[in-house]
Amino acid sequence: MKPLQIGIVGAGGIAQRNAREAVASGAARIVGVFDVNHRAAREMAKALQSRFIPSYEELLADLEVEAVLLSTPHHLHRPMAIEAASRGKHVLVEKPVANNLDEARQMWDACQRAGVQMTVNYSFRYLPRIQKAKQLVDAGALGDIVGIQIINHQFKDAGYWSGARSNSPDDWRASREKCGGGFLIMNVCHVIDYLYYVTGLKAARVYSEYATLGSPAEVEDIISVSCRMNNGAIGSISASSIMRGTDQAEERIWGTNGSMILTSDGLSVYSTRAVDGRRPGKIHDLKKFPEVSWTAEWVKAFAHSVRTSGPPEISYADAWENLAFIQTAYQSMECQRPLDVPAFEARQ
Amino acid sequence: MAAWLEKLLVYCYARIPAALRPAFRSVFFWGQIRAEALVSRRRVRYGQRVSFLDFEIAHLEPFEYLSPRPNEVEIKTHCSTVSPGTERAVLCGLPGARKTFPYFPGYSCAGEIVATGSRVKGFKLGDRIAGRVRHLSGESVGTDFIFHIPEGVSYESASLIELGIITLQGLRKARIQPGDVVAVLGQGLIGQLAGRLARAGGASRVIAIAPTRNRARAALAPGGATEFVAMRESAFSPSSIAADVVIEAVGTPDAIATATLCARPGGRVVLLGSSRGLSRNVNLAALLQHRDIELVGAHISDMPATEASPGRHTYRQEGELFLDMLRTGRLSVTDLVTWRAAPDECNAVYETLAKGGREHVAMVLEWQRSVTNGK
Repeated sequence: MKPLQIGIVGAGGIAQRNAREAVASGAARIVGVFDVNHRAAREMAKALQSRFIPSYEELLADLEVEAVLLSTPHHLHRPMAIEAASRGKHVLVEKPVANNLDEARQMWDACQRAGVQMTVNYSFRYLPRIQKAKQLVDAGALGDIVGIQIINHQFKDAGYWSGARSNSPDDWRASREKCGGGFLIMNVCHVIDYLYYVTGLKAARVYSEYATLGSPAEVEDIISVSCRMNNGAIGSISASSIMRGTDQAEERIWGTNGSMILTSDGLSVYSTRAVDGRRPGKIHDLKKFPEVSWTAEWVKAFAHSVRTSGPPEISYADAWENLAFIQTAYQSMECQRPLDVPAFEARQ
Repeated sequence: MAAWLEKLLVYCYARIPAALRPAFRSVFFWGQIRAEALVSRRRVRYGQRVSFLDFEIAHLEPFEYLSPRPNEVEIKTHCSTVSPGTERAVLCGLPGARKTFPYFPGYSCAGEIVATGSRVKGFKLGDRIAGRVRHLSGESVGTDFIFHIPEGVSYESASLIELGIITLQGLRKARIQPGDVVAVLGQGLIGQLAGRLARAGGASRVIAIAPTRNRARAALAPGGATEFVAMRESAFSPSSIAADVVIEAVGTPDAIATATLCARPGGRVVLLGSSRGLSRNVNLAALLQHRDIELVGAHISDMPATEASPGRHTYRQEGELFLDMLRTGRLSVTDLVTWRAAPDECNAVYETLAKGGREHVAMVLEWQRSVTNGK
């Protein structure tokens, strides 16, 4: 299959990683690199043995470019994606898809009009431990899911917020207008995506409390969310970027027949059922997973969907539902009451 | 094993780190059975059995047993029937049924003899037998609780033998007379068998009573109940049943009270279900005394071992009668089997049972389906 010819937009840390993994996937070729920081873009192009493109317009005008990979601040996703689509380019965009559902809808409409495809980088679901978790849940290891818990804490220092630690310094992450929110939309969105993917459930109602208590930023650095899933299960999120000295990242899913704990090391599962040939009534620790580039898998899958004109594995609906949860969680605190999370089908 | 040795082993075991105990146990039992094999000059056999690992968790696991002693036979199981009341009680930890885990359930199976001890009389290689054996692919057992399966009776039907004996001894104590109206409260497997045996015993009307109509079809099959009453689906009034004999086949204290109200004044209530739990504030005077009700306990543990008397047959007599009724067609149980499961489906079978199993009557494990017989 002919590699997808991608124009890289953005030369920050994540953009560099995305571009490297896109090449490593074997399903893509980098045609050129653009960033408003020309020095960073030149260095990145050189490292990728690609060429530097001095403006976004020139990148979009390049006939070799079939798709753009947007690793830019959140508020730029909408205008850049719409412009790319209008020039007939497929769109790979970093998460979140946009800062709000209206922007996301405009991006989708533009892609639909132009007949191009769009995907969002919720690629953690390609991690082998996440794939395994989904396989176990689908096989009934947990029975009917009744509870979901996300615990995600770390420490983001002043350099993160000012951009001083980036090769392309910018303080957009601290801006509510540019970033759309803080730790929830920036980091926990990945976890929300893969738990939606693993469980097949969506949040139906949500309430949050959040604050900015220890960071030089407008956006939240601590948040607690309670939610009811569409099957009646109860979920909670405890997350912050101001927990010093320790990183915590753990998700628990439990149901009528078992429980599962996901960590960065792997997963442990307990089931009353003999799923996957495993003895029931026992905690099984699954830690040995192959090293897989989740980003490469994402690019590979998207390239395949473009070439075969099939729907992307990580779809607009996935990204929209993720953003709907986040946006509703933020709104719930602002109006100080639980809110129903809009359903994707109802809004389209 | 000597008590002092057992105490010493328990003392040592308690001092082993918890993480190492499963491995230690495996090694210990591996050595123990081989030592026993060496001393008694028998061979180690490999099989599979159902094990309750914990509350609501059943699993098919390999196990080892020894070839038969001189007075034992080795059987290869074809079918074993789940006893819904007793096994669910253990599985779910119902009052009065607390067991330690792992627990190896089952007591009603059918199979064939694949080896015999030197002193066994009356059974030979290849004989088809049924009896009190757990849910397992094979085992060496004594001959006190096994029966020859008559020609023409399937392994599946014969595997209901222990449940048939339980029901027959209860029906015998009910002293049903031709023309009696018999009500059977509870339409699980025991209740269904009770309805059919009551008809065979001469009852003119048999009224099957259950909460819903889930099991009505099986209850009203030819040779079974003549009427069906769903307590939740109609304006149920126990006193309108007015049965001469009421067979309580539910196994709860509340059901005993309901069964008593279903009996006519002067009637008889037979407690066939293994009642678990406690009930308070029961007005025995109103339920029994003022209405002249006779309450009859009928648990299988109360059967005479050898000496029969009117109204009390031995275990062997009841077993042979059950199989003979199957042979002659006076009793049919094939349609009661609602789930024929492979042994490795036992986890799902018992999960269903733990949830009440209301959509099933008899669940049979078919051991010759995908059983590797161990190694």
